Amino acid sequence: MSAFQTVTPVPDHHFDIGDQVTIKRGHPPGHRRTPDYIRGKTGEIERICGVFPNPEELAYGFDGLPGRVLYRVKFKQTHVWPGYTGPDTDIIEMEIFEHWLEPA
Amino acid sequence: MSEPPPVPQPEKGPHDMGGENAGEIDTIDQGMTFWQRQANALRGVAIGNNVIVLDELRRTAEDLGNDYARLAYFEKTTTALRNLLVEKDIIGEDELTAKMDEIRARFDVPDEMESEIKKGPAT
Repeated sequence: MSAFQTVTPVPDHHFDIGDQVTIKRGHPPGHRRTPDYIRGKTGEIERICGVFPNPEELAYGFDGLPGRVLYRVKFKQTHVWPGYTGPDTDIIEMEIFEHWLEPA
Repeated sequence: MSEPPPVPQPEKGPHDMGGENAGEIDTIDQGMTFWQRQANALRGVAIGNNVIVLDELRRTAEDLGNDYARLAYFEKTTTALRNLLVEKDIIGEDELTAKMDEIRARFDVPDEMESEIKKGPAT
């Protein structure tokens, strides 16, 4: 096995690479790690990054455990930004925790 | 029967500015002043020794509300650090005030030794 693994083994995860997901809407108070402009948008799981302590809990002095699955999600720019004038093939990738994702 | 009160529209945090018009961006390297270096070092030491975590600092910066946009970068991160250390009972407000008074007193320079800058333009 290579010392440099590109994929972190994640035993329990709800989504797989290629799945379509929609980012949760709404404005829950507190430290939230998903920018406003991506909420309600639909993208595709690009990779599973691994399991990390939940920063939304770490932000208040707690340990963030159990860890949360983090995904990299791929969105079309034309979908994210109304009036986007660049090529239709332009994408934005964003790392988003599982608890922000819903099946599309 | 009267109209129900309007549902308050939650606002996004002051830091959450993705997609907003940034206006003109100053790309000139401003360098760092002495206090800015010290503040960075203190922040690094606090994180490196597991006294605080970066996520807490991000949150206390977001908690600055309207001050978030008003303050400059180092003012923001340093105020966030100050508030976090007080919140976590690592330093007390009294302790902080006393120390600041002590340091301020060191800068009570006699007039004859005052710098040209502070004395203002020659008359």
